[in-house]
Amino acid sequence: MSESINPTVEPLHVIVDGQEFEVAPGEMLIKAAQDNGTYIPRFCWHERMKPVGMCRMCLVEVDSPRGPMLVPSCTTPVAEAMVVDTASPTVKKAQEAVLEFLLANHPLDCPVCDKGGECPLQDQALSHGPGDSRFVEIKRHYEKPIPISDLVLLDRERCILCARCTRFSEEISGDPLIEFQDRGNGTEVNTFPDLPFSSYFSGNTVQICPVGALTAKPYRFRARPWDLTMVESSGMFDTVHPRISIHASQNQILRIVGVDNDATNHGWLSDKDRFGFEYLRSEQRLTLPLVRRGGELVETTWSEALDMVANRVDLISDEDGGSAFAVIGGAHGTNEDAYALSKFARVSLRTNNIDCRVDDAMAPHFLAATVDRALISDLDTADTIVVWGPDLKEENPTLYLRVRRAAQELGADLVVIHPRGTGLDDRATRKLNYRPGGGFALLDDIASGKHPDVTALLVADRVVVIVGRASAADDPRLAESVAAYVRSKAGSVRILPLARRANTFGALDMGLAPDLLPGRVHLGAIGCANLAASWGDIPTTPGKSTAEILEALEQGEVRCLFLVGADPVNDSTRGPGWVEALEAAEYVVAIDLFVNDSNRVADVIFPALGFAEKEGTVTNLEGRVQKANALLPGPGQSRVDWSILSDIATRMGRPIGLESAEIIAKEIAEVSPAYEGVTWDLLEWEKHDGVVVPISGAQPINHIPVALAGAPPPKSKLALHVARTLYDDGVLMRHSPSLRKLAPGPVVHLNPADALRIGAEAASAMSVATKDGEGVFFAVIDDDTPKGVIYVPFNQPGAVPLGSDPAVRVNPVAK
Amino acid sequence: MSAPLIVTRRMMERPSDSHTIDAYEETGGYVQARRALGMTRDELVETVKSSGLLGRGGAAFSAGLKWSFLAPARPSYLVVNGDESEPGTFKDRQLLERDPHQMLEGIIITAVANEVHHAFVYIRGEYPKPARRVQAAVSDAYSKGYLGKGIFGTDFDLEVVVHLGGGAYICGEETALINSLEGKRGEPRIKPPYFPAAKGLYMMPTIVNNVETVSNLAHILEMGSDEYTKLAHQTDTGTFMFSVSGHVKKPGNYELPHGITWRELIYDVAGGMRDDNELKAWIPGGASAPWFVPEHHLDLEITKDATAAAGSMLGSGAVIVMDHTTCTVRAAERLVRFFAHESCGQCTPCREGTTWLEMILQRIEDGQGRDVDLPLLLDVSDGISVGLGWPPRMTTICPLGPSAVSPIIALRNYFQDEVMEHVRGGACPLPPVAQQQVIAGSRQGGGAE
Amino acid sequence: MNRWSAETVARAEEIVARYPEKRSAVMPLLYLAMIEDRHLTNEGMEEVSRWVGLTPAQVRSVASFYTMYKREPTGRYLVSCCTSISCMLLGGDEVLQAVEDESGVPHGETGEDGLLSVEHVECIGACGGAPAVQVNYELVEGLTPEKARDLIRWLRNALPEVVNADEMQELFGGRRSFDWAVKEPWGAIGPFPAFQPLGTVGSETAE
Ligand SMILES: Cc1cc2nc3c(=O)[nH]c(=O)nc-3n(C[C@H](O)[C@H](O)[C@H](O)COP(=O)(O)O)c2cc1C
Ligand code: SF4
Ligand code: FES
Repeated sequence: MSESINPTVEPLHVIVDGQEFEVAPGEMLIKAAQDNGTYIPRFCWHERMKPVGMCRMCLVEVDSPRGPMLVPSCTTPVAEAMVVDTASPTVKKAQEAVLEFLLANHPLDCPVCDKGGECPLQDQALSHGPGDSRFVEIKRHYEKPIPISDLVLLDRERCILCARCTRFSEEISGDPLIEFQDRGNGTEVNTFPDLPFSSYFSGNTVQICPVGALTAKPYRFRARPWDLTMVESSGMFDTVHPRISIHASQNQILRIVGVDNDATNHGWLSDKDRFGFEYLRSEQRLTLPLVRRGGELVETTWSEALDMVANRVDLISDEDGGSAFAVIGGAHGTNEDAYALSKFARVSLRTNNIDCRVDDAMAPHFLAATVDRALISDLDTADTIVVWGPDLKEENPTLYLRVRRAAQELGADLVVIHPRGTGLDDRATRKLNYRPGGGFALLDDIASGKHPDVTALLVADRVVVIVGRASAADDPRLAESVAAYVRSKAGSVRILPLARRANTFGALDMGLAPDLLPGRVHLGAIGCANLAASWGDIPTTPGKSTAEILEALEQGEVRCLFLVGADPVNDSTRGPGWVEALEAAEYVVAIDLFVNDSNRVADVIFPALGFAEKEGTVTNLEGRVQKANALLPGPGQSRVDWSILSDIATRMGRPIGLESAEIIAKEIAEVSPAYEGVTWDLLEWEKHDGVVVPISGAQPINHIPVALAGAPPPKSKLALHVARTLYDDGVLMRHSPSLRKLAPGPVVHLNPADALRIGAEAASAMSVATKDGEGVFFAVIDDDTPKGVIYVPFNQPGAVPLGSDPAVRVNPVAK
Repeated sequence: MSAPLIVTRRMMERPSDSHTIDAYEETGGYVQARRALGMTRDELVETVKSSGLLGRGGAAFSAGLKWSFLAPARPSYLVVNGDESEPGTFKDRQLLERDPHQMLEGIIITAVANEVHHAFVYIRGEYPKPARRVQAAVSDAYSKGYLGKGIFGTDFDLEVVVHLGGGAYICGEETALINSLEGKRGEPRIKPPYFPAAKGLYMMPTIVNNVETVSNLAHILEMGSDEYTKLAHQTDTGTFMFSVSGHVKKPGNYELPHGITWRELIYDVAGGMRDDNELKAWIPGGASAPWFVPEHHLDLEITKDATAAAGSMLGSGAVIVMDHTTCTVRAAERLVRFFAHESCGQCTPCREGTTWLEMILQRIEDGQGRDVDLPLLLDVSDGISVGLGWPPRMTTICPLGPSAVSPIIALRNYFQDEVMEHVRGGACPLPPVAQQQVIAGSRQGGGAE
Repeated sequence: MNRWSAETVARAEEIVARYPEKRSAVMPLLYLAMIEDRHLTNEGMEEVSRWVGLTPAQVRSVASFYTMYKREPTGRYLVSCCTSISCMLLGGDEVLQAVEDESGVPHGETGEDGLLSVEHVECIGACGGAPAVQVNYELVEGLTPEKARDLIRWLRNALPEVVNADEMQELFGGRRSFDWAVKEPWGAIGPFPAFQPLGTVGSETAE
């Protein structure tokens, strides 16, 4: 299990098949044997779930005063001087019997089964199976694969009832929508009629199914395991960067599976991380540079596009210097790309107008360099966990699973604070809802003792506080204040600030912020000195943030904008307000996979490589640096960011001298104190689950006095809560059809009482209006949304943007 | 024979109203409950221990010892097992219907001894009448202040809930019963770690006792454990309720001391074989028990140890008697069918094995048997109960699976020729039940008086 | 949302209050749901899931484990014939056959007129009075094929409001497992157990 063996406890001694070894107390026999080289066959046991001892495949004999006893090794904890026989005639007999029983009703369709070639049942059958079946009776029959969700199919004839999938959904992901039905020989796994297994984690059940009963629609029949090429890498859909293995064939990703590890995801993946790769093979991918001719974007050659950009940039630079430039983006790529971008901006463009944050807008120092930043594993030992931020199930599913486990299995008290119901509420010791925009007021109340039960939970030895932006209406500084407050209460507090775009933390570490340099070094004398060697002298005045850049763009102060893998128009609640600025921009250069709603105004767009197409490193929210590996070529002539930037720089006559990603990695390690000693070699997956880089130049966190802070909660009867859902209309989702159709779309959630008052019925068309927008949304009536709160998921297909101001009007659309 | 009656005396003496609270109190009821309230846990546990009372639910485990194992955590719970579903067994039904207060008084005693304030009586769903009687008794006890807050004017609280099952034999297994009571599927839990006395209902220390076991308690307190042990035969103290059914003249429940012989039970107590037919075989302790046959077992003494030594068990006390007209393949099929039908389905060998056995037996009975089927029956059984020994070496989670093997062992031990006759003759060699004169005139009156 | 009658809701509240943890109320609540709709419907299971805070899938998982929660429409009279070992030895199969013939309803099915459902069941604890049958879980012991036929005809013609065991035993029964002693006025009002907390105990005298 994930708790590392405590060195202080005395190990036990057990003898398995004559060989003695030491084991930690509490370890189950099956695991102890496995760790010491004896593999006991099993079907139902899974290392990350509670043992149930149902399949009976793992039976072994253990000596007892009453002679050898037949016991399941998956439910039998080791004991001192235990003597175990895993291969006695009795054990063999039992195992062969269980195997024959399992095969009795199992269809013989291995040749057409997705699991064929990687099926434990098939393997066992081949190794110690009975050969041809003595079962001449009529086999159990069920309708062939039935869809139990949009992504997963179930073939009940193949199911061996190991209960892995049902236990996962109940024990791990917390949405028990598939269960055993009926009993005895008629037992089957199924959903409730017309209530699909709509879980963000459904793909995990496919991965842990020991046979081919559960299959993923996106993978079915696409390939056989033996013609797959594979590489381990880091998931790029949330800031945890779950460890994954990418499987491809003929230069196409066919599937992604989670890889078990203690550090991050325990082998689990959200369906977004698992199935969100379709966009890579989208027809819309850019394959050649685009340049604007006669108002149109037309394809051209690399040399032409690069020259055009270099010349234009030179020109502007000569006229206005660095202050005329700005860079937005860089949080989607690798650290190496981010470093190149950072260096390009400072050295070639001579500007600090650079920001990888589009709307998280929390202070870069707080995100990247806060003191006492928590490790994910701190959750396992926490007394109290505070989550005041997004609904983790929607915005950080991998972290959600770890928090859920800590609260459910490891006894942590959980405090959840959010404007409406979240996926963790059922495990929360205490849950507070607050009106969107009322965050500071609530913090004030808590601080002044109005919620004693919450404050009581904060006075604990080990507290982990997870903070982020819960609602578009919240002041971005709230998170920092919350952290500061909790810090003032508890014994040891560890802080985990959340950001959205997958490599935000890596990008910040590389200095993609107006006042940060690589290695989380504050833009100032020291930082510059350290860098001087390789960067020469660079501008020292802090630059502009994304919002400031877009204003400056509108005023013409900034004349040239680089948009690197960014779509501020769709990615921020302020986006719509920025369209004009972008259109007003004198010169826009973009590096991207697709044309999007922001870079469509660009003068030049370079086609970039994406996930799994380039090698590099990424850094997750706890500061863990991991390897991201390449398995496929990019489409057409697309190229990796750093080399594009390097070419422009060279053509400008201000080279940044970066020849390869690995060389860049070395340079990062040299110039940024925090990354000292981090080499690719060190990051080989076989060796480590990445390495956590220390917080150097740590910044104290500030408690923004409530008086100065944020708007008071809106007086209006209704307050609008805009927040993100796992599936939305982001560019990558837009080009991933299987997932995009799972996005909720234009919906508005109301409490039953409000619905009654306003005259909303389930799915009825409602007009929702704010000062920033007005549009038609379809009503969802739920108790998770408190009275007086109106919840609208952000950036949905077919939805009008509403901005972030909580003041809102909701009315039925006259029929 | 002159058997001292304990748990059935009252219903014999006052047939018309033994189930009412008035009759119960007029015959010394609830005196022992009051006494128990003045005794300590240790005293009570010691008394029951030394009485030698063995559980009557099937496992025949010392009740006092079980109580002494109760883990210290609180709250603790008591669940009285009235799920009686073992084919051939109908004794608890009589105790529940005819003398519910006797059990309630036992519940109070058990509760005091085990510091329990919330007790449950789990009665199988197909027993609405017993459940009604118990519910009525519980209500009367509440209104008299014998249950509820501060019972008998003491500061001891005791809530009793009558819980109706939903139709599942496996819920008689104590950990399955606990799951069922928690509102879950009645699937047995893994032992260890889920021994009820340690981690039972809601993961709290829980005592599970059978209806008959609990019904003995007031009497043990009344006569004192010494007296009670005097009713002993060797190790087995007290009396034992036998449910006799099948081809005997007088089926019914009989409360008897241990130590008489099977011959006495079948020929004297139960009136001998119907129409004085020949005795072919009998099941000594409910459907789960390996069979006995006259050649070997008729003069065996009926004790826990003697029965175990002969490779079977007294189990739930159900004695199912078969005469020479019985087709043992059909009988085995019927027993195996039961276990297949009642398998919870959790563990592979039981879920798949029992159904497989049933299918093979059905084929043989239908004349579709093959020469390989008898060895196959034995080999499949071997996969459920390795070595086909007694007590079984289970490959399963609970004993239900191996129970299905008992009839197969009987076929192997005593009736191989009959099986092969089915196979060779391509049909069942025995007359169907319909042609036997089962509709004998001797069908009035009532069982065990 | 709540589809249940005020009376049922009141019973449900009482039942839930009896248990230390509300999930324990699942089984009695499933009976209530079944009684409301005459069989256990999906809506009924959804209702129960709301009462105990489980998902409908979890509730169905429990319900489908037990044999008495009928998820198909059931006749006004559910005739359950025991064919387990002791009854089989004394003619249980023949009694089942007779019931099927007389009612025209094969076991496991319900007649078109919705009056009778027939099933064969495992041991119902009446082995001393074998062969035995239950009608709406009220017992008749010591049946014969002939008496079984009479029983079915009687149900058809008399259409008893309340199914009473003593009455059936007197008319159609034979040997009993033990002396039933006093007669009871109580009986079943439908194809579910007659038990006070479920409000299903009917009384003939009450008519
Ligand atoms: C498959 C199976 C079915 C059982 N059925 C019953 C039953 O119907 N009634 C009962 O009292 N005990 C039954 N038991 C025994 C219980 O598990 C438990 O041992 C007993 O209720 C404890 O009470 P006692 O010690 O008073 O006998 C069964 C055991 C098994 C394995
Ligand atoms: S032996 Fe049968 S009844 Fe017992 S747990 Fe296994 S499957 Fe369930
Ligand atoms: S792995 Fe142990 S019983 Fe299935």
